[in-house]
Amino acid sequence: MGSDFRAPDLSEGDPTVVLPGDLILEYDPEKTQDRIFLGPGLRWQDKTITATKCGLLRKTPKKIYFIDSQQKRYVPEKRDFVVGIILKKRGDFYMIDIGASMAATISYLSFENASKKTRTELDVGDLIYGKLIVANKHMDPELVCIDSYDRAMGMGRLPDGGILFTVPLHVARLLIKPDNPFLHNISKKITYTIVVGLNGRVWVKTAREGEMVAVMNAILLLEVMSMEEANKKVLKVLESFI
Amino acid sequence: MANHKCELNFLSRSDGSALYSIGSTIALASVNGPGDVKQSNRHDFRVFLDVTYNPCTGQPMIRERTTESVIRKTVEQVVLTHLYPRTAINITVQEMQSDGLALAASVNAVCMALLNASVQMKSTFAGVTCCLTPAGTIIIDPTEAEIKESSAVATFVFESLAGELIAAQEEGHLDTDTFTTCLNQCQTAAKDVFSFYRRMIANRYQEQG
Repeated sequence: MGSDFRAPDLSEGDPTVVLPGDLILEYDPEKTQDRIFLGPGLRWQDKTITATKCGLLRKTPKKIYFIDSQQKRYVPEKRDFVVGIILKKRGDFYMIDIGASMAATISYLSFENASKKTRTELDVGDLIYGKLIVANKHMDPELVCIDSYDRAMGMGRLPDGGILFTVPLHVARLLIKPDNPFLHNISKKITYTIVVGLNGRVWVKTAREGEMVAVMNAILLLEVMSMEEANKKVLKVLESFI
Repeated sequence: MANHKCELNFLSRSDGSALYSIGSTIALASVNGPGDVKQSNRHDFRVFLDVTYNPCTGQPMIRERTTESVIRKTVEQVVLTHLYPRTAINITVQEMQSDGLALAASVNAVCMALLNASVQMKSTFAGVTCCLTPAGTIIIDPTEAEIKESSAVATFVFESLAGELIAAQEEGHLDTDTFTTCLNQCQTAAKDVFSFYRRMIANRYQEQG
């Protein structure tokens, strides 16, 4: 019935806007040697791939199909870097709010140089930056603050004196894109430290409080305008705040 | 059809929201979730859906409860409930202004809010109201005055995949033939609503690149 939707030609051009229920392509692994990967927002059933979210349908050169949608609520995914808030301590674990439907846990041994004798003490309300190693819909998510070589690599407790704010998830993804000049543009005016969690939490620290507010407002621009527009306006916005 | 209007992301603090108007009926829907749910409502293998409907004035009564259950049963059929076990999706609908099409407007508002919140669904859905005048003509999207004079009023909700009926509410008497005619006319009208949805979503995604 969604008759004005044509299955998109994915080989070129701008990404298509899709709605739930739209047929993306027919795919039968028994008939073709082609292997494809499905990312968020797509479902394979009865030999067809359909969309389950609305958003822009994208395809990477490595044949990963996914829907880039504007969402505010975080659903944990394995290997995501997130910013969490310590809720409480329970035995050998801390409970952490990462903005998902359930609190995540982190073992006190999952920090750099932590042992049973030298444990990292964290207080309720502390912020931590970590990586999800367990994230599936049937289990509580679990974080770690070390990589597979036991190094912190920037993860761990965030220092005092910064500010934390929330942005929609697509803004967080946009900010950490390697080819995105936005954060560099801000650094032309202000020296700052930034931590972006894929759960939409952004932490910023600068020398002066006014500058933090300026950076925060610059980033919040992305919620209402496109990247190109925001890149043009960012310096003006920063100037108006400092 | 020309009188459908919608504003997405109307509320800044909810996960998804939409203000939807058909003629002078306006409904505001807000979706929060998938979020935490208290133990007693928790389902191990599917989401807990909670729908609250608030009328323009006064307390929610039996009539509002009926609307809630129609909306809940509709949403349950299209949302991929198994993808969000042990969570809740809270849907709140506020009737802002009523001119007879409260149910259709709130169903459509809920659909847009769910799209805005990026809840995974099988398809979209749209509600269409029609009424039968004593003279025997069928009016799609009638006004309150037209409904008062009519002999029957029916609201149908369709899903977008095959255009199948997923919910219906009817008041008054309709014989089989008239019912089928109403159903078919509403089904045709629903197609316009679906293309309206597509235009709204496309606008939203294109303006932000």
